[in-house]
Amino acid sequence: MTLTIRYFAALRDKMGTAEQIVDHMPGLNGGGLAEWLIARDPAAQALAHPSVRVIVNDEIASRSQPLQDGDTIAFCPPFSGG
Amino acid sequence: MAVAVTVQTQSFDPGALTNQLTGQDSSCGAVASFIGQVRGGDDLVALELEHYPGVTQQALGRIADEAVRRWSLGEAVIVHRVGKMLIGEPIVFVGAAAPHRRAALEATGFMIDILKTQAPFWKREYTTSGSHWVEPRPGDDDAAATWLADNKDFTA
Repeated sequence: MTLTIRYFAALRDKMGTAEQIVDHMPGLNGGGLAEWLIARDPAAQALAHPSVRVIVNDEIASRSQPLQDGDTIAFCPPFSGG
Repeated sequence: MAVAVTVQTQSFDPGALTNQLTGQDSSCGAVASFIGQVRGGDDLVALELEHYPGVTQQALGRIADEAVRRWSLGEAVIVHRVGKMLIGEPIVFVGAAAPHRRAALEATGFMIDILKTQAPFWKREYTTSGSHWVEPRPGDDDAAATWLADNKDFTA
């Protein structure tokens, strides 16, 4: 399945990109995707931090939510607006 | 009942926004508001706000809708800026018109506290020596959790 991954703020700086498209076998969730990315690139280690939020197809989601082909998943540092 | 949420780069006039909440709804005897502005100090030169376009507006709308539902507001307004801003400039306006003062004050506190932890904004500080991303304050989650104690399912 094809996934679009977006990174915001400090995570974008760490990953060196705002967006990437990856192909992966089906049956993955956000937590699994983070582990897969970390195995491929040590810079992705920050994605494992429990404070990192996941937004799937524009909705705040949990890391355990299964991902589907075509999904867009964003990894977000803790929010700091206001 | 009216809800208005805006995300914009340009500055805003907090007085004008307050005036828009005042005298509009005869069932409302109270208007409360909160304004967040760029705080100086620690060699700060400017602040930059990044957000997740679309998701941000959706989150602010859900937060305002929840405030209207909980406190039976006549009106709820959230205006949040993004982009670069200088010391003293306004960042965010939150306002509520309600039948009574307690509802207006609590709804305003709810909206700003929840916004801080559930709307995808990120702050970057520019100082005389460089720039860095701002970490949330430890108390931010606690403030939000207090409001959500009786409704843990609420998600912006």
